[in-house]
Amino acid sequence: MTWAALVHVVISGLATGSIYALMAISLVIIYNATRTLNFAQGEMLMISTFVGWTALRVVAAPLIVALLVAVIAAALLGWLLERLVIRHAISATHFDVLIITLGLSLMLRSAAGVLWTHDEFPFPSFFGNRPFAIGPVRVAPVSLGIIGASLALMLALGALFRWTRLGRAMRAVAQNQRAARLMGISVERVYSSSWVIASVVGAVAGVLIAPVVFLSSKMGLVAINGFTAAVLGGFGSMPGAVVGGMLLGVLENLAPLYLPASIKHSVPFLIMITILLVRPGGVLGRVARRKV
Amino acid sequence: MRSAALATGAALVVGWPWAAPRYFVFLASLIAINAIVAIGLNLLSGYTNQLSFGHAGFLAIGAYAAAILTIRAPAVPVPVTLLLAGLVTAVVGLALGVPCLRLEGLYLAMATLAFGFVVVEAILSLDWLTRGNDGLRVPAARLGPWVLATDIARYYLVMAVTALLIAAAVNISRTRTGRALLAVRESEIAAQASGIHLAEYKTLAFVVSAFYTGVAGGLFALVVGFLSPDSFDVFLSVDFVAMIIVGGLGSILGSVVGAAVITTLNDSLAGLQNYRPLIFGAILITSMLFMPGGIASALGKISGVRSGPRQGEDR
Repeated sequence: MTWAALVHVVISGLATGSIYALMAISLVIIYNATRTLNFAQGEMLMISTFVGWTALRVVAAPLIVALLVAVIAAALLGWLLERLVIRHAISATHFDVLIITLGLSLMLRSAAGVLWTHDEFPFPSFFGNRPFAIGPVRVAPVSLGIIGASLALMLALGALFRWTRLGRAMRAVAQNQRAARLMGISVERVYSSSWVIASVVGAVAGVLIAPVVFLSSKMGLVAINGFTAAVLGGFGSMPGAVVGGMLLGVLENLAPLYLPASIKHSVPFLIMITILLVRPGGVLGRVARRKV
Repeated sequence: MRSAALATGAALVVGWPWAAPRYFVFLASLIAINAIVAIGLNLLSGYTNQLSFGHAGFLAIGAYAAAILTIRAPAVPVPVTLLLAGLVTAVVGLALGVPCLRLEGLYLAMATLAFGFVVVEAILSLDWLTRGNDGLRVPAARLGPWVLATDIARYYLVMAVTALLIAAAVNISRTRTGRALLAVRESEIAAQASGIHLAEYKTLAFVVSAFYTGVAGGLFALVVGFLSPDSFDVFLSVDFVAMIIVGGLGSILGSVVGAAVITTLNDSLAGLQNYRPLIFGAILITSMLFMPGGIASALGKISGVRSGPRQGEDR
């Protein structure tokens, strides 16, 4: 294989990787606030994208409006789920909350099937599909667009966490919930904001990826790769989520070139199992020790 | 009181094929098979707090092992087939359980979830052995001179195995081992401080759980008679988790009740395929929010009998 073709594969890997990174970030945001894995993250992404698509279809809204609609729907959905369901279970064990989000994911997927059927729908893209050439390398604008938009969103999130009051509150809660409460931070508000922000990040990822994978009730499965990405980078760490996502995307795109076709679909899962078993702290992270 | 209840239950199980239509005999077999899986999963999740979303994978391994054995060596008697199916699965459980000792909580949940996916992909790619997507037809099994060709014959086989495994599980839970497993669930550190070898007991739970699920898989192969990889998808694993959640974590009676509830529900909702996950999700959420000990502990509260210990806090 020529190096130009290799660059092409790596770039499209980085594009899928950006989406995984965004999913990983939303999982980590919720994990850091409420110490639970949100199994429904992918389904929340899928529902918000479907709502945006409905705006597109029903009132023939331009794509940018569809994105806004998806984002608003995601914010509402995240806020509602946290207030109505998760908040009541927050004192329960991780185990319980995990099962509850699993229940939510089943319900959301089924609801989407009832509302929009389980078919696949094409979704328009902000970026063109015709590849152009930079020297000998052929690049699809959609890949570059996804990478660029994701990076912009990640930078915005980074700024939010670093410089705003809310971001500082969220980091404090992630570090030590009790201490954060004693410092006068409303932990409940951090829960709500985390679910809203995570859901919104998911909606943007959904609108970005829907043109590539088609819009369907199954697209929520991308959250599993998001989890793998987060684990790969060290679960709980934001830079880790980004690095893990990119790494997973590239690995997943490169693996079929070197491995037999039959195990292609298992690659993300095998990567997940391997990384969990060999280096549970992730590539960047360290293993947290729990005290009694 | 206790023995009377047992005798009534036994009479009901023995008499069922004569009272119920043929389809319900088949359904009862499925419930019993799922009950075995639920007990196995409960020994792992309810007793040592290791949540698994990969038990459909174990079930598939047991089912394919039994099916391939029945096809290649038709003369092998059923109990041996089932035992081998259980042992093969237990070995896989050991191979997965030992490295998984490093993981806890949601990491373990995700690793087992991934395991489930990998098993399905493996079945697909080993098509010279498993016939991949075309599916595998399982011939009737033999028990000495008898061929278990009817639903009723298979029903009695399933019930006998189930009774045996329930009795074994009840006995495990009452011994030192069972109490050690419970101690691990309540607090790993406290258990360790009391001289319980954590790694040993957690691995044991994994192996026993896989064995139970493997035997159930063997029965599944014989009762359903046709295996294809898509019957072992991740949603089946979720069903198993739902069974022990609804029935009651850490309770053997609860596992059986949960298996009965979820299997019957699954069957009666077959016509409403689109709404099935909606209803399932709602059941999972409501039982977690309002009935954290499952049906077993709710029943226990009503009758004043402590049928299963409540789930411990882990925070």
